Order: sequence, then C-alpha cells, then structure tokens
Amino acid sequence: MSLSFLDPALLWGLGAASLPLLIHLFFRRRPRPLAFPAFEFVVRARRQTERRLKLRRLLLFLARTLVLAAVALALARPRAEQPGAAAATTAGPAATVILLDASASMGYRLGGETLFERGRREALSALTRLGPEDPVAALLCDGGAPVAVAPSFDRLAARQLLAEAQPTALRADLVSCLAAAAQGLGMGRGQERLGKKIVVVTDLTASAWRLDAAPPQLPGPDGKPVRPEVEVVDVARGAALPNLAVTELTAEPDAAVGPRGYRVTVTVLNAGAERAGEVSLTLRAAGDSRPPVRAFLDLPPGGSVRKTFSHAFAAGGPALLTASLPADGLTLDDQRTLALRVPREVRALVVDGAPSPVKLRDEAWFVEAALGSAASPVRPTLIDAEALGSADLHAFDVVLLLNVRSVGTRAADLEAFVQAGGGLFLSMGDQVDPDATNRELGPLLPQPLHLVKTAATTLARLDESHPALAVFTGEAREGLSGARFQRYMLTRPAGRGEPPVVLAAFEDGAPALVEARRGSGRVLLYTSTVDREWTDWPLRTSFLPAMQRVAGWLSGALDDRRDPPTVVGSPRTLHLGPGRRLSALVGPDGVARPARDLGAATAVAPDGGSDLTFTVRQPGAWQVQVEERGATRVEAGLAFAAVIDAREADTRRLEPAALTAWLGGEATARVDGQGGAAPAGPGLPLWSMLLALAVALFLAESALLS
Amino acid sequence: MSAPRPLLDPEVLARLGTLRLRVRSVTEGILSGLHRSPHHGQSVEFAEHKEYAPGDDVRRIDWKAYGKFDKYYVKQFEQETNLRCQLVVDSSGSMGWKGAPGRLTKLEYAAALAASLAWLLVRQADAAGLLLCGGSVVKAIPPRASAGHLLPILDALQAATPAGPTRLAAALDWLVEHAPRRSAVVVLSDLFDEDQALLRRLAQLSRRGHEVTVFHLLDPAELEFPFEEPTLFQSMEDGREVEAVGREVKKGYLKLMEGWLAQLKRECAEADLDYTLCRTDRPLDEVLLPFLARRERSAA
Repeated sequence: MSLSFLDPALLWGLGAASLPLLIHLFFRRRPRPLAFPAFEFVVRARRQTERRLKLRRLLLFLARTLVLAAVALALARPRAEQPGAAAATTAGPAATVILLDASASMGYRLGGETLFERGRREALSALTRLGPEDPVAALLCDGGAPVAVAPSFDRLAARQLLAEAQPTALRADLVSCLAAAAQGLGMGRGQERLGKKIVVVTDLTASAWRLDAAPPQLPGPDGKPVRPEVEVVDVARGAALPNLAVTELTAEPDAAVGPRGYRVTVTVLNAGAERAGEVSLTLRAAGDSRPPVRAFLDLPPGGSVRKTFSHAFAAGGPALLTASLPADGLTLDDQRTLALRVPREVRALVVDGAPSPVKLRDEAWFVEAALGSAASPVRPTLIDAEALGSADLHAFDVVLLLNVRSVGTRAADLEAFVQAGGGLFLSMGDQVDPDATNRELGPLLPQPLHLVKTAATTLARLDESHPALAVFTGEAREGLSGARFQRYMLTRPAGRGEPPVVLAAFEDGAPALVEARRGSGRVLLYTSTVDREWTDWPLRTSFLPAMQRVAGWLSGALDDRRDPPTVVGSPRTLHLGPGRRLSALVGPDGVARPARDLGAATAVAPDGGSDLTFTVRQPGAWQVQVEERGATRVEAGLAFAAVIDAREADTRRLEPAALTAWLGGEATARVDGQGGAAPAGPGLPLWSMLLALAVALFLAESALLS
Repeated sequence: MSAPRPLLDPEVLARLGTLRLRVRSVTEGILSGLHRSPHHGQSVEFAEHKEYAPGDDVRRIDWKAYGKFDKYYVKQFEQETNLRCQLVVDSSGSMGWKGAPGRLTKLEYAAALAASLAWLLVRQADAAGLLLCGGSVVKAIPPRASAGHLLPILDALQAATPAGPTRLAAALDWLVEHAPRRSAVVVLSDLFDEDQALLRRLAQLSRRGHEVTVFHLLDPAELEFPFEEPTLFQSMEDGREVEAVGREVKKGYLKLMEGWLAQLKRECAEADLDYTLCRTDRPLDEVLLPFLARRERSAA
C-alpha cells in the first residue's frame, strides 16, 4: 500500500502540526508563586495525579497535533494505492471506462459460479472504488460492435448496466472493445485534463486478444496520442481453465456407407495443459431411434483431434446431427449441432437413344448400371426415345437423353421441365444430328453442337471445385484423366445469355462437359458417348460415381447438402418462398421467438419470396415456424444450427507479461494475473477519513479538557 | 435565632488594630449568653506531688519530700482551683497565612480566640495560662486566676510572630511535665505537624485527666482550594516548592483534605478529645459559645 496526494503542495500545511509544541515552548505561562500552608497536601495530591496528568497532557498534545496534521493531510487529498499500481496510476481524478467481458468463455464455471458472475461482481466493485470526482462509463464486450461511450457522472446508469448484464454465447474481441473504450475516453467533454483509465474485467483467455493489433490510444490534451492506463482484472485469478470442446462438425456424403450415407467429421479441442484420455464423444441424429454412435478419444494437451464417423440416415430430408462431450467447466462448447438436408432419392428418366438387345452394346446399359447400383441415391427409369413422347416428366428429377436423335414434340416440355428446376443430361453418339438437336433443344443446350471429331485424346482439364467432380481429387483424379476418347462432338461458341461453364475439356481444348443454367434447372452436355463406341470411360471406375454425382447435382441434391452452421451473433439469412411468412423461431431452449421480436431485415427474393436476415444469440438447433395460407407449421427444411465461435472454446490463457508489454509496459498497465489481491482501482481516497479522524480527535481533546 | 453580631465578624476584628480591642469586642458579645461559673472554693484533698516549677505557690512546697529526695515538690489537691486552663497556641510559620486580604491570619484568629478565652476564664476566677509554640516552646505563661495575669497573656499573644515548623509535641511534652492534673488544655493550631503521633500525645494528656480541646484553625482557602491557574506552591515552613495547575490537583487535594479532617475527627472522638474545626472566616462566637456551653454542661 502506498500513498499519493492530489495536491502535494498543500503538504506544507503539515507544519501547522508543530503549533502545539511551539506554543508549549514559547508561550508557556509562568506559574504564580504562592506560599501555602497545606503544602504537603498539594505535594501529595500532585504525586497522586501526576502520572494521570502527564498522560492526559501527552494525549492532549497528541490530539491537538494530530488534529492539525489530519486537517493538513486531508487538504492535500491523499489516496491509498495498491503496491505495483503506482507506476500505472494516474494522479488525481481519472475518467474511467469499466469494460466487462461477456463472451462465451466467461460462462466457464469455476468454484461454484461462472466467471461472468465473478466478473460482474468485480466490475461493480471497481465502480464502487472510484472516487467521487471520477467520471465513469460501463461497456459490455459481448460480441456486438462496441460503441464508444463518454464517461459521465451518471453512476446509476453504469451500475445498472453492469448489474443487469447477462452472459452471452458470443465471441468478444477485447482489442476492439478496448479501442472503443479508449475512443469513449476521448469523447468526454471537460475531461481533457483528467487521467484516463480503462478497467478490463475478463477471463484473460488468449483467443480474445489480438496482440498484433495496435494498442488502445486516444488524443491527449496537446493533440498527441496517449495511452490510457489499463488495468486488467483476471476473474480466473490466475487459475488454469481446462476445457474440452467440439470445435467443428462437418458431414460429407459417402456413397460407401450406403444410401444417405455420410462421413461425419468431429474436431475436438483439449484447451487444458494436461492430456485427456478416454474422452467419450457421442454422435446423435435427432429423431433417430437407433442408439447414438460413441467413440473414445485421447486428447493431447493444447491439441485437437479429428474423429470421423460413418453415419447413414434412415430417411432423406432435413436432419440434425449433434456431437457432444461430457459436461465440463464451459458447457456451451460441449456439443455442436449440424443441420443438413439428406437428399431424397433422385428419380432419373433414362432415355435410351440406341437400344440394343446386346447389353454391352446398349447405349444406356452402363448408365443404368451406374445409377441403379446398390448404394446409389438415384432410381433410374429406362425408356427408349419413342416412349419419351408419353413420359410424365414431372415424375422425375432428372432426364438423361443418351444418344437421342430427336425429342420430337417434347422439346417444349423439356424446356419447361428444366426451367421449373429439372435437370437435363445429354450425351452424344452416332444417332445425334447436330443440326436437328440444335433446332429442337437450342434454348437448352449450353453450347450449340457443331460436328463430330475423331481423335485419340484424354481429359486434360478438370474443374475439381465443381460439386459433380469434387470427389475426383488426388488419386481419384486418375480415374477421370485416364479415360480415353476416340471421338467427340465439337461445339460452337454460346450465344447471348448466361455463359456456359466447362467442367472438363479434352487435350485440344474442346469441351467434354459443359454446364448451363436454364431457369431453375440445370443442363449438362457431355460431348462423347456413355457406351464404348467413342470412349472407354464407361469401363473406368470413375464412371459410376461421376454419373451418380452428375444426377445428384442436376437434381439439386448435392447443393442441398451444404448448409454451414451459423455462428451465434452472425447474420443468418432465411429464404421463404412465395406465399410464406415467418411466424416465429423456436430456439434450442424450446422458447418461440415471434418474428416481430427478431428485428429481421426483409428483402424480396428473385422468385417472389422473401429473404429474411436476422441474428441468433444461442447455440443449438433452431426450428422455423412459417405461416402459409393462414396455417402455421414448423418447416423442418428450414431448420438450422447455430454454434459458438470455436475460438471461444480455446480457454488457454494469455501471459500477463505479454499483455502488459502490449499495453505499454508497467508504466501504463497492470494485469492482475495472479488475482491474489483486489484490483487497485484509482486508489482509495483518504481525505474524508482524515477529516473524520480530525473531528474525532477534536472531540477527544474536548473530552480530555473537560 | 440570635441577632447578628457584627463585632464578632473576623473581617471586622481584622480591622481592629490591637488584640485588646478584639478581645473586648469578642467578650462583650459573648457575655450576653454566658452563665457564671458554678465552681467556687478550693479543695483540700491531696492529689499528687508535682515537681516545683517557677510560678508555683511556694507555700505548697512539700518540705518532707524535699527532705527525702532533695528536690522541690509541690502538693497538689483535687479542685484546687475553679479551673486551670492552658491555652496552647501554635505560632508556626503556617499559622501566619490568610487566603484573602481582608481576612485574619490563622495566628491572629487563634490569638483572638485564645485571648477571649483567657479573659472569660479570668473573669470567672478560673486560671488561664498560655503556651506559645512553634518549632519549640516560644513562650510559657503558667495559669493564674488574677486579673493582672491577663495582661502578660495578651502581650504575649500580641507579640507572637509566625515562624518555624509546627511542632506541637514540644508544647505537649512541656505540659506533661508542668501542668497539674485535671487542667483544661485548649490547643489552637492548624495541626500541620510533622509529628504523626500528635493526636496520640493529646490522647495521652486526656488519659492523665486533662480536658483537651482542639480548635483546628483552617483558612477557607485551605478547605476549598480555590486555585485554578498554574501556581508555584511554596512551603511556609521550609524552602520546598512544587509547581502545579490548581484545577488539575484540586480534586486530589480536596479528597486528601477531607480524608484528613475525617481522620482527625474520628481519632479525637476515640481519644475523648473535644475537636472543633474553625474556619477563619466564621465569627468567633460560633466557636466560643458552643465550647463554653459544652464546658458548662461538663462542669455541671
């Protein structure tokens, strides 16, 4: 504990404390001599009271001296400071911003209470310790964009803000919050000459600090930037915060698993300093009556482990997957949910343009075998070209025209089918007449057909980023690039409209796979054959998955599988088709939040529906209630998952020395890393106590005199 | 209720220049309420021998005893006279103090009291003697009942000057040696005696048949200690000094004084001594009348 003075010049007043001594020495009254008969009685009386009188005189002298000293000290306005804070403590009143970390990691439960509850108490305590001349503002660092607030003397508002603060599941960027606090300190009117101080109450997790960013600064009285004094209060009091968290959950379709099979990858982080063994990880699908899948992990300290599960959904449609760990100090990150739409069975109409009684020569034999395999999500229906005239196109998701000479009168129906969202696949062959096909299907073709070229070639260029070809990476690429082609159809450049996308090209640059969007549907042109006439690709291992993925992609099934979870606090856009209206969102806690309370921004979608953008602040699975034709129902297809920012799960702590250095060293910063002592605050004002002491001494002096 | 007697007021007496005037003033006031002495005649009953001292009647020398012991002894008889009263007046330094300018000193008050008693006694044909003592016996006048004997007593009292320490023991020793049995001994002193056994000696006198009366003379300032300011108190009987703030020691002083007076009163009562505390600001008749009344009752 050290002492500082706001007006040290007034310490000269301490000289007044010597007045009683000076008066005693120089103005002592000379006793009047008196011959007295009862002299012995006086001597004895004096002897009896001498010690008491001496003590009384001493106490009187002390009381008078201390009264003057206390008043003189009080005028100099002393403050008591904590050790170590002297260098960083501003002298005199200081404009102060109390910054309370309300991020997800503050929900860590330590010692029977959460760090946030402890932090709120510390923040209120820091507010109480402020002197009467210290303007103050309170700021919550809760993941939202921090707003600079100028300190004021409205203590009630600051207290109310801190007392009513609630923990969030959001990520806090303390560097941004510090910058906002510093900006607020610079906004205070009439506070230019005051000291500037920021009290940060946080759990000191390293992930909340970006020490590569610029430290907080504000304009000084002379216009030059100065650093505020920063006091960081570690609510964890230096304790380690071991934490296991599910930081990532992804799911990829995996045909090897079977129909609706997925490869689910879970990433688990061990933020503790010790190895965690035999950690139980559970994967559960909502609504699945089967027992959950369980695995046991061995997690190194400070490291993460990926665990892959194979999971086949019982049915297609919207699904929720949840990976969970046993509850620990921070429960928010112990589970993670993923919403995905398991593709339904793709109904494919395969139109065989060159049927043959010999299977190997049949144009559609390889395609039908590929699509109708056991693990395929596609259910093919095979017809010949003549049967196309009577086929009900609306009963299918994809139509495959294999070496078809002419679609006849169904060209318009096919165009309407594609425009409405259907998929169309065209393959070439000797039956295909480029001119006739261009006439019939011109609006649908990605590029007009030109002529057949005969040349031995392979696929030289592949767009592996395309969903239909995404599986052909690495060694799997060989399956495609090894296919040999002898003949293929050349195309002409496309006309106006949306440019085609070439997914694969031959060595001479001629397109092999060309994609185009038409309305809501997709068209894929394959410039060679799907039998062995022009190529050996149907014999290659890549043919089967490629055809399945092409069918899935054309039907839109592959697109539906990609729905990344929403990080809490980030905007989420929900598309509602025409005639639908958002009624409410049902959170993971089961509480329905009416649409009017969401503050969602609404935009008109191209299809006449609406796009609603809103923010959720609670992790877990969210259900969407929609209103359509006067009826309200939960739309399972719109369900989505919200997760916390994985960085909040990393509870590894920041070194106080590093933070102190970033904040400018001990001259301007104090990081209460050990948490043993209460934070210093601006110092405890002592002058009121000194004045009270002076009054008490004065009363004591009066009592001694009486 | 008796009418006020301004002539007996000490302040008035203090303005009277000589002791004779004071005595006259006092006794004239006293006589109005005094009865005549009931003691007349002489006794012939032998009581004891006493060594001859100057002043004794040579006609009472026992020549037979002289023949035996080669010393002069005087025969003493019971109720030889009406009353033989020895007035013992303390003339030590402390008796010369007064607490206020218009007041009598204790010695002046004692002298007025003793002279008045002597005059009253002689007027009743009782014998009155005087013993002035300070550190030692300063003046000794044997008791005589003649009116002419009053004059040397008054002169001695008039001439008494306060000096030296209080040593009443010397006077009492003198009395033990020279006073006949059953005489009255009246001690007028402030009793600031170094000898702690003073009362024991007085009790010893009482046991020898003497009627001992103690007039304890104190100035009101000694009883009330009216000092407040820092004062350098000086002893009146030696050169000692002590500095004290009056208001600081007052409480202790008064407590000690009260305890001392209570002790004196108790010990006097136990030794059958007639004790009277006399404030020198009170009229003398307040002292004399009760004393004479007690004397009258005891003689009856």
